[in-house]
Amino acid sequence: MSVTYTIDGVEVVANSTDTILTSATRAGVEIPTLCFDKRTAIYGACGVCLVEVEGVPKLLRACSARPQEGYVVHTDTERVERARKTAFELLLSDHTGDCRGPCKLNCPAMTDCQKYVGEIRDGRYKDAVSTIYEAFPFPASIGRVCPHPCEDACRRQLVEEPLSIAFLKAFAADRIEADGDPYVVQCEPDTGKRVAIVGGGPAGLTAAYFLRRYGHAVTIFDKQPKLGGMLRYGIPEYRLPKAVLDREIEIITNAGVEVHTGVQLGRDIDFDDLRRDYDAVLLALGAWRSLNMRVPGEDLEGVVGGIDFLEHLGHDERPALGDRVAVCGGGNTAMDCCRTAVRLGAKEVYVVYRRTRAEMPASDVEIEEAIEEGVTFKFLTNPIEFYGEDGHVTGMKLQIMELGEPDASGRRRPVPVEGATEDVAIDNVLMAIGQGANCEGVASELLTQRGTIACDELTFRTEMDNVFAAGDVTNRGAGIAIQAIAEAQKAALCINNYLEGDEVRRHVPYFVTQEKTPEDFEDEPKQQRAKMPGLSPEERRSNFEPIYFGFSEEQAIKEASRCLECGCHDYYDCRLIRFANWFDVNPDQFAGQMHKREDKQVVDKVIMHDPDKCVLCGLCYRICDQEVGKTYLGLYNRGFSTEVNPMVPKEASAFCANCLKCVAACPTGAMKSCPSVERVTEIL
Amino acid sequence: MRVVIGEGSCGLAAGAGAVHARLSELFEQDNPTGAELGITGCNGMCFLEPIVDVYDDEGSLHRLVKVQAKDADKIHAENIDDYLAHGGYQAIGKVLREGMSQEDVIAEIDTAGLRGRGGAGFSTAFKWRAARDAKGDRKYLICNADEGDPGAFMDRAVIEGDPHTLIEGMLIGAYCIGAQEGIVYVRAEYPLAITRLKKAIEDATARGYLGKNILGSDFSCTLRIKAGAGAFVCGEETALIESLEGKRGMPRLKPPFPAQAGYWLKPSNINNVETYANVPWIISNGGEAFAAMGTKDSKGTKVFALTGKVVRGGLVEIPMGKTLREVIFDIGGGIRDGKEFKAVQLGGPSGGCVPASKLDTVIDYAELGATGAIMGSGGMVVMDETTCMVGMARFFLDFTAKESCGKCVHCRLGTKRMLEILDRIVSGNGEEGDIQKLEDLCYAIKDGALCGLGQTAPNPVLTTIRYFRDELEAHIDEHRCPAGECRELITYSINKDACIGCTACARQCPVQAISGERKSPHEIDPALCIKCGNCKTACRFGAVVVR
Repeated sequence: MSVTYTIDGVEVVANSTDTILTSATRAGVEIPTLCFDKRTAIYGACGVCLVEVEGVPKLLRACSARPQEGYVVHTDTERVERARKTAFELLLSDHTGDCRGPCKLNCPAMTDCQKYVGEIRDGRYKDAVSTIYEAFPFPASIGRVCPHPCEDACRRQLVEEPLSIAFLKAFAADRIEADGDPYVVQCEPDTGKRVAIVGGGPAGLTAAYFLRRYGHAVTIFDKQPKLGGMLRYGIPEYRLPKAVLDREIEIITNAGVEVHTGVQLGRDIDFDDLRRDYDAVLLALGAWRSLNMRVPGEDLEGVVGGIDFLEHLGHDERPALGDRVAVCGGGNTAMDCCRTAVRLGAKEVYVVYRRTRAEMPASDVEIEEAIEEGVTFKFLTNPIEFYGEDGHVTGMKLQIMELGEPDASGRRRPVPVEGATEDVAIDNVLMAIGQGANCEGVASELLTQRGTIACDELTFRTEMDNVFAAGDVTNRGAGIAIQAIAEAQKAALCINNYLEGDEVRRHVPYFVTQEKTPEDFEDEPKQQRAKMPGLSPEERRSNFEPIYFGFSEEQAIKEASRCLECGCHDYYDCRLIRFANWFDVNPDQFAGQMHKREDKQVVDKVIMHDPDKCVLCGLCYRICDQEVGKTYLGLYNRGFSTEVNPMVPKEASAFCANCLKCVAACPTGAMKSCPSVERVTEIL
Repeated sequence: MRVVIGEGSCGLAAGAGAVHARLSELFEQDNPTGAELGITGCNGMCFLEPIVDVYDDEGSLHRLVKVQAKDADKIHAENIDDYLAHGGYQAIGKVLREGMSQEDVIAEIDTAGLRGRGGAGFSTAFKWRAARDAKGDRKYLICNADEGDPGAFMDRAVIEGDPHTLIEGMLIGAYCIGAQEGIVYVRAEYPLAITRLKKAIEDATARGYLGKNILGSDFSCTLRIKAGAGAFVCGEETALIESLEGKRGMPRLKPPFPAQAGYWLKPSNINNVETYANVPWIISNGGEAFAAMGTKDSKGTKVFALTGKVVRGGLVEIPMGKTLREVIFDIGGGIRDGKEFKAVQLGGPSGGCVPASKLDTVIDYAELGATGAIMGSGGMVVMDETTCMVGMARFFLDFTAKESCGKCVHCRLGTKRMLEILDRIVSGNGEEGDIQKLEDLCYAIKDGALCGLGQTAPNPVLTTIRYFRDELEAHIDEHRCPAGECRELITYSINKDACIGCTACARQCPVQAISGERKSPHEIDPALCIKCGNCKTACRFGAVVVR
């Protein structure tokens, strides 16, 4: 006897053994469940399959309710939504773990570091590069120059030092390039939609890459003679060889991108024309203006912006410098400037910075290498005047500073020491205190007070419907390359939504995270971080040769093996996190006591059960009992303290069939098979 | 003349055993009228325990209506002859000797309008018919004597005082559904009840009321006891069945209902003690006599455990349809110490608090349900103005959170999170939006929990929000407990004008927080005070002030 009913307006025919869940699933209406498995008797613990039936006062569990003729079932009422969502929020309020590793979560582009590091460890370099390409298209370039927020978050530093994640990325990309097996962009069929991208730097190119993947036609306009933006014109050759960058740009343009270089917005092309002629416009203009220091004398000859200085290098020019060069600023651009000045033959190069080394935003390794190359750091000094002869700078007056109270950024504020100054003779000043945007040609109503383009922080859409913006030109202004790339990746997704006629929105994914301390890793054997081989300071001072040789394969595999694999092994199969994002949960509202059971059950060297990730769906012990015919696992304690344990912990092995069916049935990452040598031996 | 000592657990706890021993001695020495000395179970008047009832020719001292309590107070709880002498086993005799069919009996129960006394109030006749009509080679009749509500002891009183009534009621039920075996699931915390029921089963078996071919008929039925391990959730019928089967006490999904697939998946009927205890009376006196008492939808009588701040606490059996006011003020004698009535908690952890404005609500399943409370199994806790309603809700939620079996998410984690929110509210750390958060959780848990325990767990909180929202807000917004009960929100001090320096408070203070010279006003050191309230109790001049 079959019955016919509707669920969310879909007509469903159910047979006599069907529940609402089984019949609806067959009809393509997904009902979430964590505890249902057709191999076991209906259990009904998770309560996320609740549905509302017209005329039935209680919500029904779809896993057990039998549909009746003419039932009108809803899965999308407010009441169902609340009951289901609350269940997920409650579960997550007591769920301890890391859905994804801290490396990935700290990468602005959410690059799956743990995955590609693992692929490198396994020698699967092509897969590793493909993994990176899911996030952005510059593994070799970014691998060389990124200040790597991933490594800042890497938990390996709780053992000794973070993994050398960035260099591993460059290694994989270089390796497949050397193997003659480069990445090829796979594009969806053409959609017929056209997008204009103004700016061919990391943001513009990343957006072009993703938009091509979505199947849209892309045209890039760039003012410079060559694509690459700041990667080409802002980063010196010794850090990022142009040949490497060229290859990665070629991979993108080979995907079918129309490129117009030497074209400037507002001069050669008109903003309104672009809006009219293209379905969407992405403004990725970058931030090419060196900020002034508002110090007397900065218009003297010999005082130039750091960005402008580096841009000359990018054009293969060699600007003439005097013997004594001062670089003002403490960021990576300042480091690029001072190290370039050394290479151009300056005899004395000073970095003038108003705080101390500890507060410098530049990467530690950059500072270290600059010192090795002979750069003199003048910490706690601030230029208050540049002076000169015949219009050319000859010296600067520095105010001596000291550190006072912490400011809003948490760094201690530099304050002048009354009356303490120092005069330094110089021939050139390179100002690297920050970059501003130059948005000539862009409609003024799109601009912020600081001259950047205002856009939504989530969708990167501007006030104008079909205009998006990404990279250094947006909102707060310039940041590091991977931030610009990340914005472009997200903007491309939203442009795609827009072009497909969908709502322009971006879901910020929910992840379970946790904090760890060095104590958590006391038993972890120490393994030193791989040292990048490269030129000695003496060898690199006089030329622009790439300073790093790259990891050897042996080195790379060994380094990749240091990964602690913080991210949950079950992420891609985890039903809990999938539903959590489906229901847009906010478990923090129920924050309270969380289980922290230190004695994770390692059982029989076969199964590891993590009670802190367990949702008590009961599948493991029910499968063990009803499917395998063993009663190895069972529930212990009551209420909030309930947990799954082996029934006979002491004599575990005598009962376990080592079948791992419990592991496979677990809807989250609470059950794990232990990849130990012993296990393999035992199973054999 | 007959002298009867109330020797239920409560009476024994109050010293009835010693009274009995002394009376026996005295009777042996001198008993000119030949008075009998007997024991019975609880006679309901807990506020007077231990109780010795003296019966002369005029009969009982009690004026309450009695159906299932019948002549319990005259019956020797461990003596089957006493039961037989007072009309015992005549109802089953009537059923079997007069050849009443299963349907005849069920129709009588139907006429009586008997509804389950365990809490949910489901029609007994309906359940019996469903179990009778279910196909199965074996059927089981189960008695739920896992009385778990805090403060409820109606069922214990029946088993301790009059176990044969339960046996007889179960026999009739077993006959109706065609069960050959009955099981009484009694919580292990009731050792006296188990002892007496065990003896009653042995005696009834010896006399042929249990076993093969009862009273010469074709009907055979045995009865056994299963002692539960004290989990509250095992009072939920499907969890009880799991426990009977030797499994962890966790509820099953319904359907299938026990009537279709219960104990060992066989058709089973489960009622609670009081429900079965009503059955012999109904058969003996007729369904219509039972239905003559009560309201349209709630017939017969109901036993309540009246406790709390009431003058005369105890077990009371009243006809349905009386008002809460009548029970609390007429029978219970009103509020102790001249204080104000504030609320009455009905139905324990599954029920709710009914405020003074609803005192005229009649005792009826639907009427009580409309207040947000429930009839429940009969817990009736009376509260006065010194009871914090937030604390009360927290108390019951603490109970359900601890008693949650842990199976379903909504109950296991939902009650835990609600408890945490209430904990922070009573400690003065409530946050804006907490009431809304509680309400949201309440409704999600009611919708999502698997069994009755979880589905009703939010009720105490919901009624507090409904009737005592201002009290919740005072805790959250003003960090103040209007009832002066939440320890972390109150301070004890001494009114210097009222204090005469008698030192009574200082002597009672367990932490020496009170200082002062004799005959001069005393003082409480707030840093030392643990807010136990001893001083306030000790002071005869009302000088201890709680703010």
